[in-house]
Amino acid sequence: MTYSVPPPRNPAISTLGRLRPLFLVPSGAVTLLLLGWMTLPAFASDFSLHGFVESAGGIRVVDNPSQSKDATLGEGRLQLELSYDGPKGSRLFLKADAIGDGVKEKGEVDLREVYLSLSPFKLLDVRVGRQILTWGTGDLIFVNDLFPKDFVSFFIGRSLDYLKVGSDAVKFSLFPEPFSLDLVAIPHFTSSKVPTGERLSTFDPFTNRITARHRKLTTRRPAASFENTELALRLYRTFGSYEAALYGFRGSFKEPVGTDPVKQKLFFPELSVYGFSVQGPLLRGVASAEFGYSDSREDRSGRDPFVENSSLKYLLGYEEQPWADFTVRAQYFLEQMLDFHAYQTSLPAGAPKRNELRQVLFLRLTQLLRYQTVELSLVSFYSPSDEDGYLNPQGSYKITDSLSIALGANFFLGRKDSTPFGQLDKNDNLYIRLRYSF
Amino acid sequence: MSKLGLALFALFIAGTPAQAQKFPTATEIVEKSQQAFYYPGADMRAKVTMELITETGQKRTRVLTMLRKNDPKSKDQEYFLYFHEPGDVRRTVFLVRKYPEKDDDRWIFIPAVNMVQRVAAKDSRLSFVGSDFTYEDVSGRDLSADTHTLLREERLGNADCYVIQSMPKSTADYTKKLRWIDKKNFLPLKEEYYDAQNELFRVFTADKIEEVATGKGRSYPTITKRTMKNVKSGHRTEVIYTSVAYEVGLDDSIFTERSLRNPPRDLVQ
Repeated sequence: MTYSVPPPRNPAISTLGRLRPLFLVPSGAVTLLLLGWMTLPAFASDFSLHGFVESAGGIRVVDNPSQSKDATLGEGRLQLELSYDGPKGSRLFLKADAIGDGVKEKGEVDLREVYLSLSPFKLLDVRVGRQILTWGTGDLIFVNDLFPKDFVSFFIGRSLDYLKVGSDAVKFSLFPEPFSLDLVAIPHFTSSKVPTGERLSTFDPFTNRITARHRKLTTRRPAASFENTELALRLYRTFGSYEAALYGFRGSFKEPVGTDPVKQKLFFPELSVYGFSVQGPLLRGVASAEFGYSDSREDRSGRDPFVENSSLKYLLGYEEQPWADFTVRAQYFLEQMLDFHAYQTSLPAGAPKRNELRQVLFLRLTQLLRYQTVELSLVSFYSPSDEDGYLNPQGSYKITDSLSIALGANFFLGRKDSTPFGQLDKNDNLYIRLRYSF
Repeated sequence: MSKLGLALFALFIAGTPAQAQKFPTATEIVEKSQQAFYYPGADMRAKVTMELITETGQKRTRVLTMLRKNDPKSKDQEYFLYFHEPGDVRRTVFLVRKYPEKDDDRWIFIPAVNMVQRVAAKDSRLSFVGSDFTYEDVSGRDLSADTHTLLREERLGNADCYVIQSMPKSTADYTKKLRWIDKKNFLPLKEEYYDAQNELFRVFTADKIEEVATGKGRSYPTITKRTMKNVKSGHRTEVIYTSVAYEVGLDDSIFTERSLRNPPRDLVQ
């Protein structure tokens, strides 16, 4: 979790509901595309409907005076996935969840993905609509992936399917050999979902302590304007067994790392990121390296104590399978805050001080058993610089092809209330999920 | 010496080609068998249904589309495996670049998070999607990884077979493998795998063989039903190939990240 890119002075969340209006850039153009697509002769067409029903529950296992409920997760969910394959490789895809959330005590519809995919030319794919975007080499640590994530879902034990949140975007993928290029325009900002005090208590930068009972941090989102359209780019190619990529991003932080003390709101400062990654075989496994320079455009001098500074991020990863069905993945993440001196001198009295260097060690162990129907896994983070960590042991069993059960826990460790995992310390929880897929 | 040089040398010392054909060495038989089993055609497409059956009869089903393309210049191959079932892996794709003499390159596409992930694949003897087949059983094993001996020739059912013993040169999940190779089409009709105690633990059988025409005047005998049974645990996996096609004309671009994220639908229906 880029909980390696933790909201520095705090995390917080967008107050925006799950049901956002689908905002498509030039909606006229999209309508034309849709009409054109629908009038094409429908040979090789194919319609499919799939989904699952899931019941999930989770409970806090430590006393947390700032929370009124012990339940961290309690919901029933129906997911429907509709897909229509049209001519010439086109596809209309929709995935939506209907949720009865016992913790929030309300029902919701979450339109997770709805997009139209087209391959108008041999060297071009286009995808328009709400879509999940992912790239980069990290495992739960993101350097050049600036697309929205749902850390709350992850920390309360929802399935990994919910780690990512869809972006309302247009994505062009070009394949002029030997390179490939992805170009994404996101006119409608979508933030990551981070703890706000509502379900998980967290650090409150306005009081410099853990969120009080019934306190919910609120955010101010960037206006939906033309100049706020986010752009993300990836240029990649392979060299034999090795892969290399260059990345560029211009938009806003996805986590609310800006603090507005006057309006008592968190916000998403402007951000540009430039980076690269390489990966390929090494020793007995696969290794990767990724770098990113985060340019915090609203605080280039580093003197604004209410906006995250610019930083350099380095990520090294290695994975191997020492024995049958057992996989080890290790990562080392280093984040260097730039203009650290300016940060130090401008830090308000009483605000928690961060280190110039943030280091995170990550280890994922996965063992599959019984013809790969049982999966035991442990995800662990430890930061020597923040003196905090996180553990997520999980066991899952595929009872039949359609029925599965997962049991797990989230443990947060830390000495300080202000560090990424330390602030979540009082939210240790156990969870269970039962899913029937169709 | 190059492989071609070796082959020429082998021909030379064996005398005329006719004689060489009459007394093929064990390694030549295995090589021909691998060619017939894993390499027919320049490329291939099949829908694969795997049934994983426990000793008590509980069944799990995997349905996938397999696309395979041979590198015309080497023994390298590319595999594109698109999963239709079960539901929790629907739209998941494996991309495997197979090199006989070094570790494969493997990628997986996880649709729920739209993520392409490079995966470590040191050991090709690992189970393929939880079945009794290993990756190697699905895509072949390096010819030079074992020492092959022709034990005898005998009839199996209605077919005249070579019986070949293969002993791995370095640690593998078996210590000895016996296979019955049909003299006519060189397909393996039966294989026995022995474990460290020299006890039989896995048995492969080719249950149905069909001639698949390419449409270009050729046809390839193809094992369309096969079973791998773990005789120690009683677990078995039955695999049926349907809609098998050779010389499909698969483009290299199919075996790239583009297709992982956006599979060629006309091919993976």
